[in-house]
Amino acid sequence: MQNKLFYNFLFLLLLKHRIKHISIFIISTLIVFILSSVVLLSNALQEEINTTLDSQADFVIQKMRAGKSVNTPLSWSDEFREIEGISQAQPRVYGQYFFKPNAEHFTIVGIDFFDEQKSKNLQKLITNLDMKKFLEKPNMLIGHGVKALLDKYYFFDYYVFKTPHQKKRKVNIYQIFPKESSLLSNDMIIMDIDLAREILGISEEQSTDIALYNPNELEAENIYVKLVLKHADIRVIQKSDIAKAYKRLFNYKGGLFLILYMIVLLTFMMILYQRYSMVQSSDKKEIGILRALGWSIKDVIILKVTESFMVAFGAFLLGFILAFFFVFVLDAPLLSNIFYGYANLPMDISLHRSIDFSLVSLLFLFYILPFMTAVLIPSWKASVIDPLEAMR
Amino acid sequence: MIFFSNSVIVFIFIEALLLLLLSIAFINVVGILKSWDFSATSTKQYLLEKRSYLVLLIIFFTLGFKIILLPYFIYMIDELNVLVPGAMCAAGVINSNIYGVYLLSLKVRILFLVGLWIILNHYDLQAKDYPFFKKKLWLFILIFFLIIAESILDIFYLINIVTDTPVSCCSAIYGVSGISNPIPFDLHVSELLGLFYLLYGLTLISALYRYALLSLFSNMAFLYSAYYSVVYFFGTYVYELPTHLCPFCMLQAEYFYSGYFIWGTLFLGTFFGISAALLQYITGKEIKKMYRYSLAFNSAFILFCSSYVLLYYIRNGVFL
Repeated sequence: MQNKLFYNFLFLLLLKHRIKHISIFIISTLIVFILSSVVLLSNALQEEINTTLDSQADFVIQKMRAGKSVNTPLSWSDEFREIEGISQAQPRVYGQYFFKPNAEHFTIVGIDFFDEQKSKNLQKLITNLDMKKFLEKPNMLIGHGVKALLDKYYFFDYYVFKTPHQKKRKVNIYQIFPKESSLLSNDMIIMDIDLAREILGISEEQSTDIALYNPNELEAENIYVKLVLKHADIRVIQKSDIAKAYKRLFNYKGGLFLILYMIVLLTFMMILYQRYSMVQSSDKKEIGILRALGWSIKDVIILKVTESFMVAFGAFLLGFILAFFFVFVLDAPLLSNIFYGYANLPMDISLHRSIDFSLVSLLFLFYILPFMTAVLIPSWKASVIDPLEAMR
Repeated sequence: MIFFSNSVIVFIFIEALLLLLLSIAFINVVGILKSWDFSATSTKQYLLEKRSYLVLLIIFFTLGFKIILLPYFIYMIDELNVLVPGAMCAAGVINSNIYGVYLLSLKVRILFLVGLWIILNHYDLQAKDYPFFKKKLWLFILIFFLIIAESILDIFYLINIVTDTPVSCCSAIYGVSGISNPIPFDLHVSELLGLFYLLYGLTLISALYRYALLSLFSNMAFLYSAYYSVVYFFGTYVYELPTHLCPFCMLQAEYFYSGYFIWGTLFLGTFFGISAALLQYITGKEIKKMYRYSLAFNSAFILFCSSYVLLYYIRNGVFL
């Protein structure tokens, strides 16, 4: 039965009844398109964050006072360096700088450019960064969002920061971060660590927090216990905690959407059921003729179900391709704002193309199964029509 | 909350839809079974026959999807290990509460019955007078109740996955803990392996000469020994680490998803071996194809597993 002739006939039938299928096809495509865009976008962002997390510190140490994190003394980092299994302990200096004219925050990150690993990572991000030239004068590297904002206020080459002691500090813009890293670097300003200390008001003996590196992942749990026992007012953040928190966040946003989308799918199923339950007299005649030609009920059911499947599958392909184009070529305008959250600075991101088989199968199951579920009973109803009655 | 995980939402939604369809089928099946009489020429029988098309269509459709859903379920569980502290693969997630193990074994059993149903249906439709019609509907009713139990377990399991307290990871669950030997009957690994290959030989003989009863029991025993052999011997070659004992880690991308192939071929091989015997009792006919499939899948399984050991030896010159 299922041979070339069968499919030939099937497609002829589809072509003939295109008016009947077109509305379903369009709605289906739209449904798949929206569903796929959200899932693809959430997945792409997750991948993005995972790749950046890989190069992050394994532990971050903060000092807590009255439930708030305060500046950590530098002496701590020497203490932690002693713990076996820790290869590096880096005091970090960073913080938010309030940009008064627009009531927005920049993230200032101070980097010790004499630290080899840090500057190597930075070299990777920004090719041909001339360290010597950069350190000669007070210079900074800024993200796209910062650049756009400073341009608005005519600070094309420099900006004058105000320190907490009401002093003014002029810093030149050296370079802008590449757009690919915008998810993290959008509102970021990178400068020399001493300069950052001055602008953020952190004293020489203190740092914002301490980053610890541990090359052996199996040691992580042991080190964690040792760290926690060192001080009473310590907070230790593990890399896996951060990864988990991100995963939760994306699951929450994507999940909420999927749960609401279920209602759409259920409604869509009702429409499908209604639509395919209406058997027109011409359809009846057609089935009657097929039956009279010797087709069994089973054959007609197969024909009807395959017909619906073709419509569903075609819509799935088209919707998915459109979504792919929308997310990865157009960078998902409008939709992306749901995931970026309330924007401190407007985001401008180009997404890496990331797609895996499980994602496609998830979308496929989530859409095709409801579709087919809805059309099973109508297909059967149409197929068991009495041929005599139908031909009359 | 694990419920917000995208794949969990999709999974529950699909399970619910399938259950809805199966319930519709179930109501019809009860009606059909009550007054089915193939030899009658009444209008009622005529209507029932029409109705039976719907029932078969729905059952075929849903059970087909059930087959796809088991690998999907395992994949989903594997993916959740990020959210469960301490878990590094599906083993930790499955064992994170008491329902997991029962759920998984129930799912495998249902899949077995589903396969049996589909084959039975195939032979029933081939014959013109539906000789096994009632048998397969009864089998469906059994499957339906099992699926209801499965759905309830699904919910209980997924609700109770812990995300705040650490669970054991696979090495803690399957690892050798001190004196007690985790392999049943206190067997050594070498003894287990001997038994494993011997049992394979037995399935081979039963498949070649088509001994139904022997096929039934040898395949059951083979399944049992193969599970332990893979966990305690072949798995260590897949991971290339003698202390890594886990049936789930091999499902991950690091090991090229080879676990799906290993467990898939084992399931199919023993499934065809066992169902060959069962079908012979149900239909009264000998189905040669079943034995052939059983032979093919069992051999593929054993070749694949052994090749890991062999390749390791060729590359390194020693066994683990």
